[in-house]
Amino acid sequence: MKLLMTASQIHGLPVVTVRGGEDVAEVRDVIYSPEAGRLIGVTLNKRGFLAGRSREVLPAEAIHAIGQHAVMVLEESSLVARDDAPDEVAHPATERDVLGNDVLTEGGASLGTVSDLVLLVGSSGEVVGYQIDKAGGGQGYIPLPAQLSVSGVALVVPNVTEEFVADDLVGLGASVDDFRDRLGLK
Amino acid sequence: MSESFRASRGRKVISRASATDLGVVSHLLVDTQRRQVAAVVIGSGKKAQLVDWEGLSGFGPDAVMVADGASLRPPRDDRERAAVDGKLELVGKKALSDRGNELGKIDDATFDADTGALEDLIIGDHRIPAGSLLGCGSYAAVLEDQQPASA
Repeated sequence: MKLLMTASQIHGLPVVTVRGGEDVAEVRDVIYSPEAGRLIGVTLNKRGFLAGRSREVLPAEAIHAIGQHAVMVLEESSLVARDDAPDEVAHPATERDVLGNDVLTEGGASLGTVSDLVLLVGSSGEVVGYQIDKAGGGQGYIPLPAQLSVSGVALVVPNVTEEFVADDLVGLGASVDDFRDRLGLK
Repeated sequence: MSESFRASRGRKVISRASATDLGVVSHLLVDTQRRQVAAVVIGSGKKAQLVDWEGLSGFGPDAVMVADGASLRPPRDDRERAAVDGKLELVGKKALSDRGNELGKIDDATFDADTGALEDLIIGDHRIPAGSLLGCGSYAAVLEDQQPASA
């Protein structure tokens, strides 16, 4: 059983230092690599009186943990100036955005379109699934690693994914290990 | 003897040398690295002063005794200024695990009145050993995660 959250739930979370207990920024947006199946960083807003876009970013390697109430970093120096950040964090490629992509099984059935990313709570940004707007209406959640190829238009998942579409995050959290077992990915 | 943060607030502070009243305890400043009470804040506002733990002759149940009233001093850095303003006060602080999950609010904390060493943090019905305290700032006190990642 894994505790999961969606990427949109991370928006606005404070970035807090473990050693300082200070909120040094808040999450503006997440930067995601569909190939790696994980966050590669987050962009930031300033907190408090100086609210507004921060010129610093937080690469995934510098994230201690992403929780339900805060993104933890060890120290304020974990935030880096955009210019000093790895290129994929400083200038994320938007064309690889998976949101809105059609999810197709290898058999050619559409499961829906991707509406959000699902992350493992407490990790430094492991993406374990996608939230989808189901083809038949309503929301569902599919586990990863499932995608075989990403084009920016569609992503193709194994046929077995269809059996693991969950109605909520709790259901997905309970089934993601089984899914990986079935695919032999443990 | 174990002493409580909450109970020691408002306790009078007396000079051992002159037996004069120096004020009352408003906050205790914690050194989170050493998990130790580093200083006692006396009074509040602009006139607030600190005395280092080493400058005490006793942290008693009825009074905090300062060896020499001359060892009281104003805050000397940002962290001490924040402490004087109550921004670092452990009691009432939001507790956050290092995994980024809220654990509740720190209701009280205990320390050894002889050494100043932190003992436990009290959150609701839980007593958490002070050894898990990783940091305390104006936003939160950060504690080492107690449970395995899965719930």
